[in-house]
Amino acid sequence: MESNAGTTETRSNVTVSDGGEVAAFESLQFTEEIHRLISAPATDNASSFTALLGLPATQVVELLHSPESVKLIVASAPNVEDFKGSFHFPSNTGLIQKDARFSVFSGEGNNKNEKSNSPEMTSKNSSANLEKAVKSEPAETASSLPLVSDPTVENRNIKRKDREKKVKGSTKKSKTATNESLEDAEKLPYVHVRARRGQATDSHSLAERARREKINARMKLLQELVPGCNKISGTALVLDEIINHVQSLQRQVEFLSMRLATVNPRIDFNLDSLFTSESGSTMDGGNFPSLVTPLMWPDVQVNGYRQQFQHQWHFDTLKQPIWGREEVCNNYVTPENSLLSYDSSANSAATLHANQLKMEL
Amino acid sequence: MNNPHHLNPTSLKSRFTTRFLRALTKIRAQKPISSSSPTEIFRRYRRIKVAADKSMAYSVRSRRIWSRAMLWKLRSRSYRRQDPCSGRRSGKTNQAIMKKSSNGNITRRREDGVGFVEEADELRQLVPGGETMNLCNLLDETAHYIKCLTTQVQVMKKIADFYSF
Repeated sequence: MESNAGTTETRSNVTVSDGGEVAAFESLQFTEEIHRLISAPATDNASSFTALLGLPATQVVELLHSPESVKLIVASAPNVEDFKGSFHFPSNTGLIQKDARFSVFSGEGNNKNEKSNSPEMTSKNSSANLEKAVKSEPAETASSLPLVSDPTVENRNIKRKDREKKVKGSTKKSKTATNESLEDAEKLPYVHVRARRGQATDSHSLAERARREKINARMKLLQELVPGCNKISGTALVLDEIINHVQSLQRQVEFLSMRLATVNPRIDFNLDSLFTSESGSTMDGGNFPSLVTPLMWPDVQVNGYRQQFQHQWHFDTLKQPIWGREEVCNNYVTPENSLLSYDSSANSAATLHANQLKMEL
Repeated sequence: MNNPHHLNPTSLKSRFTTRFLRALTKIRAQKPISSSSPTEIFRRYRRIKVAADKSMAYSVRSRRIWSRAMLWKLRSRSYRRQDPCSGRRSGKTNQAIMKKSSNGNITRRREDGVGFVEEADELRQLVPGGETMNLCNLLDETAHYIKCLTTQVQVMKKIADFYSF
């Protein structure tokens, strides 16, 4: 039985793939197969053919009832016609018997139109192999009966000729059939879509987690920025510390501007002269220290120091103008040493942390 | 001299220093200190404070939310000082915007769902323009703001030390 099923399957596959070019060769094959079919019990044949039916019983009935659906299936598997053509030439008794058996199985599909719809079964066999995986239909296998009747064969031949005329205009219907099969196929991905919806809710939590990680990274950066904040654990406490730091800084700014408001106005003239006289030396890039240093020393001293400064400036690598300038400034103003170095280190640390943050994100 | 950008555009500190020193010079040139009365000192203090904020915000430019908010605030403030009528109007719009942002703040507080809501709100009031930020932006802007404030304090301290020598 299994061997029978296998041979029938390969036969239909060959007809589908190769078509009418190898019709003669196929006819030879068919004769062999048909001999085998005759030798095998009829019930086995029935089960092997029903095993090839891919469509459910209700659809089979529907297809066999309407003549348009018949055209439809034939058009979807046009090789069946070639198959039929090769079917006739060997004038074998076993062949006729097989045809009769086809009619029998179609008659099981719909009990009323036993004779007229017999060829559709063969065409449906090939089309089922074309589109879908082979399914077994228990209802039909259960009711399969070995019935052989010669008059049905003759009727079938007549009907087939009639149908060959209809085939040409039925290409449109085949498209609708493939659309139906596509819709059937889309039911499975719909399950996948729903699964994706489930994943979407999951991705929400993922996004939430990513946001929290982002916030945590920023909190770490802030902890590095605010002195004495590393030891504190707990975001609320850290935020409290950050708030205190910001407030203290703002108060410091206020205090310093107050201090600048009450400062000795003696240097004002110095500042003014600075802005008018230093405009030439700003092109060197050493603007900042030359702005600040003249505030402290008389002009002669300033000139001397500035020359020294410019020497140093030339020795400094031009790649690092900021640090070089600040170092130069430190040479003059000793109290700012610690501050400036702290600032440069803080700046670099901040950039480092920013890079770290980018890496983390 | 009038073009501070060729100085060193990468250094926030030098940019701020240049701007602030120029603003100080302008303040002193406009109002030479005649009396050391408390009101005069207080007025000068206000101007210096505004100049410090402004030069800080300008040296950051509009790259940051807080600097943009600070510039906007200072600009509306200067308009108010110049023209009292339009100033009142701008003050009203200012208040309306603040109200709106505070309302938005309340709604955002619920969707934040973090354990430190009060602290975040307090921080929002400290950082300029913080009322309209979400938590992530707020922390980011706070970090930059702290950096800039530290720079500002250092430079101002240095200048004050120069003056008080």
